[in-house]
Amino acid sequence: MVLVLALGDLHVPHRAADLPPKFKSMLVPGKIQHIICTGNLCIKEIHDYLKTICPDLHIVRGEFDEDARYPENKTLTIGQFKLGLCHGHQVIPWGDLDSLAMLQRQLDVDILVTGHTHQFTAYKHEGGVVINPGSATGAYSSINQEVNPSFVLMDIDGLRVVVYVYELIDGEVKVDKIDFKKTSTSNSAP
Amino acid sequence: MATTVNVKLSRSNRIYRSSEPVEGKIVIKSPTSISHGVIRLSVNGSVNLQVRGGSAGVIESFYGVIKPIQIVKKTIEIRTSGKIAPGTTEIPFSVNLREPRENIVEKFYETFHGTNINIQYLLTADIPRGYLHKPLSATMEFIIESGRVDLPERPIPPEMVIFYITQDTQRHPLLPEIKTGGFRVTGKIATQCSLQDPLSGELTVETSSVPITSIDIHLLRVESIIVGERIITETSLIQSTQIADGDVCRNMTLPIYVLLPRLLMCPSVFAGPFSVEFKVCITISFKSKLAKAQPKSDPTAPRLWMALERLPLELVRTKRDQFSC
Amino acid sequence: MEFEFRRRDYGAENDSQLLPRSRAEKHPLSSTLVSRQQQAKTVRGSNLDFFDPLRGLDANASEEDKIEDNSLSIEAVTQDLIKEWKSLKRILMQRFPVSKLFFYFTQSAVEHPSAVSHLDEPGSEHTSLEETAKMISQQDYLAKVHELRDGITCAWQAEDRVTSLKLSIKVTKLLMDTTVLQFYPTVFVVVTDMLDMLGEMVWERIKEKAEHDVDGTMICALLMISASKQEKLAIIGFAKLVLYENFSLACKASVNNSFLTLLTLLLSYFWPLVSANSYLELAILPCWRFLINRPVEVLDRLVMMVRGLADPLASLYCRLYMVHRMQKLGFCNSGYLIKCIKDIEAVLAPVIVDKDGYSYITDDKKLLFSLMEPPIEYIVKCLLLSGRQENNVLGMLEELGFGRNKSHSSTNSSRVSILLHYLLKELPSELVSSKATEILHMIKYSNDCSFSQILNYRLLGNRLCEGRDHPGFLSSLINEVIQVASQYQTLYDYLRIMDAYVDLLLQNKMENHLDALLDDIATLARDKFLSEEEQASLQSIFLKLLSHFEDLQEVLPLNHFIEILDLMSGTSKISVNMHLLNMGTRNGCISDPTTVQLLFEVSQALYDATDFLNIKDDDNLQTAHLISHFVEMVDYGAEMERHLMFLAECREAFNGIHELKETLVRSSNTLAVKALKAGKKHTNFIKSCLAFSEVTIPSVSTPTKLLNLYLETAEVALLGGLISHSDGLVMSAVESLENIEATDGLKSIDGDSIASVVCKLCSLLVIVPGNPEKGVMEILKRIFSATCSSSWAMPRLKVKIFCAIISLSSTLSQEKLPYRSANPEIIGNDVLFFGDTSYKNELVSWTQLVVGELVDAIEQESSQIARGNIALEACNCISSALVMNEKVSQLCLRLLETAEGCLGAKDRYLESTKKSLQL
Repeated sequence: MVLVLALGDLHVPHRAADLPPKFKSMLVPGKIQHIICTGNLCIKEIHDYLKTICPDLHIVRGEFDEDARYPENKTLTIGQFKLGLCHGHQVIPWGDLDSLAMLQRQLDVDILVTGHTHQFTAYKHEGGVVINPGSATGAYSSINQEVNPSFVLMDIDGLRVVVYVYELIDGEVKVDKIDFKKTSTSNSAP
Repeated sequence: MATTVNVKLSRSNRIYRSSEPVEGKIVIKSPTSISHGVIRLSVNGSVNLQVRGGSAGVIESFYGVIKPIQIVKKTIEIRTSGKIAPGTTEIPFSVNLREPRENIVEKFYETFHGTNINIQYLLTADIPRGYLHKPLSATMEFIIESGRVDLPERPIPPEMVIFYITQDTQRHPLLPEIKTGGFRVTGKIATQCSLQDPLSGELTVETSSVPITSIDIHLLRVESIIVGERIITETSLIQSTQIADGDVCRNMTLPIYVLLPRLLMCPSVFAGPFSVEFKVCITISFKSKLAKAQPKSDPTAPRLWMALERLPLELVRTKRDQFSC
Repeated sequence: MEFEFRRRDYGAENDSQLLPRSRAEKHPLSSTLVSRQQQAKTVRGSNLDFFDPLRGLDANASEEDKIEDNSLSIEAVTQDLIKEWKSLKRILMQRFPVSKLFFYFTQSAVEHPSAVSHLDEPGSEHTSLEETAKMISQQDYLAKVHELRDGITCAWQAEDRVTSLKLSIKVTKLLMDTTVLQFYPTVFVVVTDMLDMLGEMVWERIKEKAEHDVDGTMICALLMISASKQEKLAIIGFAKLVLYENFSLACKASVNNSFLTLLTLLLSYFWPLVSANSYLELAILPCWRFLINRPVEVLDRLVMMVRGLADPLASLYCRLYMVHRMQKLGFCNSGYLIKCIKDIEAVLAPVIVDKDGYSYITDDKKLLFSLMEPPIEYIVKCLLLSGRQENNVLGMLEELGFGRNKSHSSTNSSRVSILLHYLLKELPSELVSSKATEILHMIKYSNDCSFSQILNYRLLGNRLCEGRDHPGFLSSLINEVIQVASQYQTLYDYLRIMDAYVDLLLQNKMENHLDALLDDIATLARDKFLSEEEQASLQSIFLKLLSHFEDLQEVLPLNHFIEILDLMSGTSKISVNMHLLNMGTRNGCISDPTTVQLLFEVSQALYDATDFLNIKDDDNLQTAHLISHFVEMVDYGAEMERHLMFLAECREAFNGIHELKETLVRSSNTLAVKALKAGKKHTNFIKSCLAFSEVTIPSVSTPTKLLNLYLETAEVALLGGLISHSDGLVMSAVESLENIEATDGLKSIDGDSIASVVCKLCSLLVIVPGNPEKGVMEILKRIFSATCSSSWAMPRLKVKIFCAIISLSSTLSQEKLPYRSANPEIIGNDVLFFGDTSYKNELVSWTQLVVGELVDAIEQESSQIARGNIALEACNCISSALVMNEKVSQLCLRLLETAEGCLGAKDRYLESTKKSLQL
């Protein structure tokens, strides 16, 4: 059982002062094995904070990230799954499933995690999964000023993934789960 | 390869007591076989007395003519005549220095090498080889230490003599500033001392108006020989040890600790024709311009800028010193 | 055959692909699961548990520490001290470096008459130093010393041990010469290294001899520690034999057995000088392990023997060497160290009192004492280490007469302050805490020139801070300290002492004392010009205050805080200001107007003190960052107009900080969104915000940032429904894209990030209504031509952007766009051009043009792998945007061929692309 935290689009301090306290109290160190972050943190302090939750931190670069060391795309393998990471402002149009599928093919991954739209979504597409954890701070997006803060926790166990969605709606944390299995053929050559 | 003969002793330190047999082997190395006569081993112990120069200079006629005193001289047969095979041959021997019932006139003095007095014990192996060949021989010195059973236990505690050195105890003139300013150095020192132990004691500078430059402990050896009706005495400085360098703190006890050089010393001896005695001399040098002007001389000679104290030192052999392998 | 865009129904597609979600009652972050997991973790013990460093140590941990303190093993102590010795040597060489300017006067050889008689034997002269009184430089001198060392090793290796010993004696004589104080430590280090080496050689030799008897048979294994009692006796016996009994023979037969000669000579004959005696005996000290069981007697004698060296410096260093060699003996004993320290005190007393008769210390006493510091520190360190090891620190201190002042009169408890200093430095902190009052009194009465009393007071404070629990009498103790400190009259001395106590005051919440302290500072500093040192001390105190308090609100009301702050200047002020700013901004939003005002002034002071325009170093960067962060954190809440004014003020005040421009724009954008959320009535305010951004953006220098800010502002304008603003901003973005080369011809341009922003722009254009007056394709065309003609766009990036344009065209052609602006006033192109065939035709013909360029760009890529990948990218893009008719499939096949040629048929990207094309 491996816990992977996926979050992004924090836009601290410009669009939000910090993560919601309710999220912060849940994210205690020592539980999570990997963090994948879709970018737009935007300051180093957030980077450092995430490091305290889990030192195994993977970040891609959002358009407002100063840190040039973050790559545009990133892939990593956790257990049986290959994960791809991209901020998503480069996808045309934003959040489009076909375009994301192209990226998924390019990166050759099972699970593609992107952000930018500040809206949680999870789709199954062409044998893979596309997840957008939303904005962890509820920062306004290009197309929406009212955003609910959200993040995602993936529990990867063998060929099974349980995706927990944490959303802060009206001051309350609501948790949903999405369960899916990888078909063993999906990753093999056609 | 020439034929060689060596005398090898059973003890690597070559120290024996007079009551013990001296054991060892004669080692012959030869490339060929050798025919030989009776192999003999002789032991020779003697006191050699010499008078040369120095204080005895007045009696030139005696120079070097004093007859040595024989302590022991004996010869034993080790092997009857025969043949020695080529290679290395070892012939063991054992010599009793003193037969139980034998009446020896002289005491077995301890081995000693001094200026005028030399007490030495030698072992000589002789291998005669007929008239055609040069006889082979080898000599080896061995060391005698007192072997008497009635040796004193180590003096416990060693006899300490307390001394005071002040401007008033000096028999020689001192610089006026030292004399008037005054000084006082006290201490104690063991005047009876086992040869094995260091000469020990302590010393404290209580006061001194003139800064001190050095405090030294000198060991002196006094050898006396009776020549006819006169006694010829030779005093030699054996060793100096500095215990203070510079103007040391007042009222701080300094240790006196002098290891005795065994080669140059032996238990104090008072024999009929000769004696070997020891003295310890403490010197305190004061700061003075004169001292720099007149360096290099007998450090125990009285000087204007020095205070002296001479004490007799009796060296003894104690039971604890005995060492057997 | 014409291109035709693939029809898309974004909503339906999304719905069909959506993964079903259900409410989760239990999840990994829920508390029940948490506790279970943590339990599992502690059982496994493999995962690193995180401890909050600020939480403080719990009782168990401190208990363990204590146990460890008490059970110091000899080995650990010895190891520590060996390290210490190494660092000490380094310190000695570094702190008192050999200057080439000094000249050194070698002493005449005739130091002592008796020495000469023994040493000046024929044959020893050729390797000796030139000993007539003359002047040589230190470098030459050291060279000669090294020559001597080589002589010792050579002689030893050539079995000529007598010569090496004689040379060693010559070497030790160098240590008796303290004419050039500054040079002494260097000589000491060099010479003691040499002696250590000699000692080592003797030790090895004896060991060898003790392990094998004359015939080469093994007598017994060495190492006394592991040997049984009988073995020990055997070794001792043998060593005795070697050392003493064999003496006469050895001398006679020195050719055969020069080793014995050496040792016997070493131990008696050639040692006329107390200095040589001491040093050489110390050098071979470890060899005593062969001889006796209890080295204590030897130690006692050696401690006393060193007293024979009258020169304070030489004797101190000799004691230092003694303590060092004692560790080689593997023997820890505080007894001899206590005697040693008492002796040091006795030797120092006359030097400190400065009577006549000690005129030979004509050099500055300061230098003398500074030379004495390292040895004293080392010796005291050893003392306390062995005290801890013997578990008797207190008893040891009592033996030293430490802390017994209650029964004695005040003068009796006075100690040499340099010793007191190092004792205090090394004492265990629990002891410092429990004996603080006594120590304070001792410091009070120990006021001599060997060490500054002020620094001792300081040290007490610092040591008390280290302690975990503070004594109950702390309050009265600090009262006393404040009294003592204020007697010094000058601000500098006062500050130097009190600086060390500030942390104590803060930790123990002693507000009254803190007030008194600040009162005193204000009184002493008022109307005075503060020197640099005073500034530095004030800085230190202020930084302690600032780092102690969580919130600026707690600091500001402190007595005279602002007044004293105003007295400061220069770098100290900058440093304090930076901390103030850091503190003010680290706890989230700043909304209190007075705090904002204060921090603004602080920022201004910092800004004025830094030359942002000309010098770019890390400090400036940090200042810039702090100021930007401050501006970011300011939040006027509902007073949005005030906030915008503040931003304008900042723009004016900190004009030179580039970083800040971005912050200002983003803050004003955020402000606009905030106003938007608050309701419709703020339209004018939103317009002001946008205007502010529009004016500010052009001064941003980095092209990527410029583009990003234009786009963000345009997004905000769209959210606000302000179409004219958004049009203008998008236009400005395009213009800035076109101008990239013109303005930044020389700088290296980050093409990747520009390309990524251009992609973002394309996606943004989905919601920007086309302007029929300028032509619907206006913006797309300009992006296209800017990309075509740019130098920053590598073929790879061109392909990326062209693909973006094709995807965008495809999206724009749909009957319903995938997303639209949240503001209902913005009408999407789908509505605007509904049923307009010319619009669609334009898109199609336009796409044809772009596809042509795209194929060309792929051909231009020089790298095989890159070309293959971009060919696949283009193929994916085209197949997803266009209906797969004959022309398109031909195009795709061509691209796949290119890719296969570059990447090979087995490439996974190629395979998955083929699969998606259903080929």
